[in-house]
Amino acid sequence: MSQTTPLLKVSNLKKTFPVRGGIFGKKVGEITAVDDVTFSVKKGETLGIVGESGCGKSTTGRTVLRLYEPDSGQVEFEGKSLLALGDEEMRRARKDLQMIFQDPFASLNPRQKVAEILEEPLIVHKMGDAKERKAQVQELLRVVGLDKSHAGRYPHQFSGGQRQRIGIARALSTRPKLIVADEPVSALDVSIQSQVLNLMADLQEQFELTYLFISHDLSVVKHISDRVGVMYLGRMVELADRDELYRQPLHPYTQALLSAVPVPDPEVKKERIILQGDVPSPADPPKGCAFHPRCPHVMEICKVERPAFADQGGGHFVACHLMDRS
Amino acid sequence: MAQPVLEISQLKLHFFTDKGRVKAVDGVDLAVHEGEIVGLVGESGCGKSVTSLAVMGLIPQPPGKVVAGTIRFQGKDLTKASPREMRRIRGNEMAMIFQEPMTSLNPLFSIGNQLVEAIRTHRSCSKQEAKNMALEMLKKVGISRSGILDEYPHQLSGGMRQRVMIAMAMVLNPRLLIADEPTTALDVTIQAQILDLMKALNQEFGTAILLITHDLGVVAEMCDRVVVMYAGQVVEETDRRRLFRNPKHPYTQGLLKSIPKLEEQKKRLYSIPGQVPNPLGMPKGCRFAPRCEFAFDVCGRAEPQLLPVEDGHLSRCWLHQEREEGRGHEPDHAIAQSQ
Ligand SMILES: Nc1ncnc2c1ncn2[C@@H]1O[C@H](COP(=O)(O)OP(=O)(O)OP(=O)(O)O)[C@@H](O)[C@H]1O
Ligand SMILES: Nc1ncnc2c1ncn2[C@@H]1O[C@H](COP(=O)(O)OP(=O)(O)OP(=O)(O)O)[C@@H](O)[C@H]1O
Ligand code: SF4
Ligand SMILES: [Mg+2]
Ligand SMILES: [Mg+2]
Repeated sequence: MSQTTPLLKVSNLKKTFPVRGGIFGKKVGEITAVDDVTFSVKKGETLGIVGESGCGKSTTGRTVLRLYEPDSGQVEFEGKSLLALGDEEMRRARKDLQMIFQDPFASLNPRQKVAEILEEPLIVHKMGDAKERKAQVQELLRVVGLDKSHAGRYPHQFSGGQRQRIGIARALSTRPKLIVADEPVSALDVSIQSQVLNLMADLQEQFELTYLFISHDLSVVKHISDRVGVMYLGRMVELADRDELYRQPLHPYTQALLSAVPVPDPEVKKERIILQGDVPSPADPPKGCAFHPRCPHVMEICKVERPAFADQGGGHFVACHLMDRS
Repeated sequence: MAQPVLEISQLKLHFFTDKGRVKAVDGVDLAVHEGEIVGLVGESGCGKSVTSLAVMGLIPQPPGKVVAGTIRFQGKDLTKASPREMRRIRGNEMAMIFQEPMTSLNPLFSIGNQLVEAIRTHRSCSKQEAKNMALEMLKKVGISRSGILDEYPHQLSGGMRQRVMIAMAMVLNPRLLIADEPTTALDVTIQAQILDLMKALNQEFGTAILLITHDLGVVAEMCDRVVVMYAGQVVEETDRRRLFRNPKHPYTQGLLKSIPKLEEQKKRLYSIPGQVPNPLGMPKGCRFAPRCEFAFDVCGRAEPQLLPVEDGHLSRCWLHQEREEGRGHEPDHAIAQSQ
């Protein structure tokens, strides 16, 4: 693999879900959860993804790992198309591709003890003998800050944050190359959050891990990411180096988002950009720029023409007609 | 002051597991008054959700059991209420937004079905009226797509599920709203919208709100008073301003230091050293002592009480407590800290 090949390259990814209705469950429409999304991630890099609830972050993450099959587009991992792999090859590839799920409760088998949950991926991928696996499970628990005694418990016996850490430990178990982390710290209090973020940074350094880090917490994303992508209604609307994005957000949605971050200081009053209007439905996205009904800078062209996702220089991508004017 | 809407006194709730007794809640005092928003923060696993589930009467029993204390709701002790009474109160006078939406949404029923059912259990109204109420409320939480009532939980994004639950909890205008991490799955613009909605409910109808969150930015914006828990106990309680300006307990201080801030960039975040104690074997003395940078001799021996440091500011720490028996002198850093 040459220096310039990214570890993960996603091009024009699109994923729709059917909307069913009526007594016969007929397909009556379609939700475009991910709409023409393009980005790449270098080895050892962290790409943060932020955006409105329901904008397609989780679906993007799942489709990249082929937990969902895309409608169209391309996903390349280490220069090879993931979409071309057969079942068996894909199964083997999963050792390198792991996911930390947003909803830990729904993603952990309630009938398995924690030790079994953590050991299972090791068995599936034939890693180590029984003794080594047991040691590995203990090590994983230690790494995510859980007690040895927790190994024999079931998921429902844990608090929300503890369950999230079980999910993180499971994702780490096969020593993957890419981890799609879907809101990995949103269930954690700040002191454990800082432990997990430090942990993820350490593991990244140690194993040259690559992260696709999905979160709605802009402070956390700023802390951990090298680059950040902002999604709105299934589309990527801005993508830039971390410092650049936070210093000079160009898309009006990104600007509103950054202005709404609550500040942990009761005496600081921030000037919030209040967005007007409701979040539109992905089953019936607005024409032109999907953000136009809520955009404080909307122009006529925004209502009819979809803005291109274009590089404004130095890898700062923006999809907004305001860019054409300057 | 008037009688609180919710008053928890010396609550002890333990889980009896085959490995031993987990003292998930161990002597908690907490009150929420009409028109007040109280924040509940603390380490993951410290007992915040369990405390609120106990108020709702939703602790699985066994293995859980309230072993001591009272939970008064509008004067009535809920630990003695019958299941039937609890069902009447729950969802109506008292509602909860749960931390994990999938645990409280039934995957087999459509969103409309669940909301209409919840409304009609407590209000006599037609199906159509209930539907309208549901749609109205969903709109307020920012879900306006027309087909939403016919959709099933798995078809919604994480944040949408959370908002459906918020709608369900708020639609009947409860006296007490317990919100367990209500906005964790939401982006900040929608979070702001939901928080405004909760504030409006609180100001317009005097709804008492217990807000469990680990987002100290949300605490700073929303709460009148804040209760900090650690390992099943309350370790600090004070008003919002003093919590941020002058935190007393070393755990609270560590918590505030751990927040990643938008305006600064650090390679590593501060994190409180050590691990949360094993709930089956709490440390002797102060439960925070093994991780506390100020710990001194007495901390490892005797348990500090939750006592006032000043008017309306409580802390459970030996640094601010008189040691009757005159056990040695206070270390300098400890004195500096308490001033
Ligand atoms: N059914 C159960 N059996 C045994 N222990 C339990 C059970 N349910 C909860 N616990 C324990 O009770 C303690 C408190 O859990 P709780 O869910 O209240 O934590 P929390 O403060 O809400 O944490 P988080 O911020 O992670 O949500 C935890 O140590 C947990 O492991
Ligand atoms: N399995 C599914 N079937 C039908 N629709 C789905 C499915 N999964 C997601 N969707 C829809 O796709 C859209 C994007 O959902 P997704 O979960 O990717 O959002 P998200 O950005 O992760 O949001 P959140 O921040 O709330 O988690 C939503 O409108 C959602 O309702
Ligand atoms: S009592 Fe002692 S150990 Fe406990 S928090 Fe205070 S200083 Fe630390
Ligand atoms: Mg999601
Ligand atoms: Mg909880």
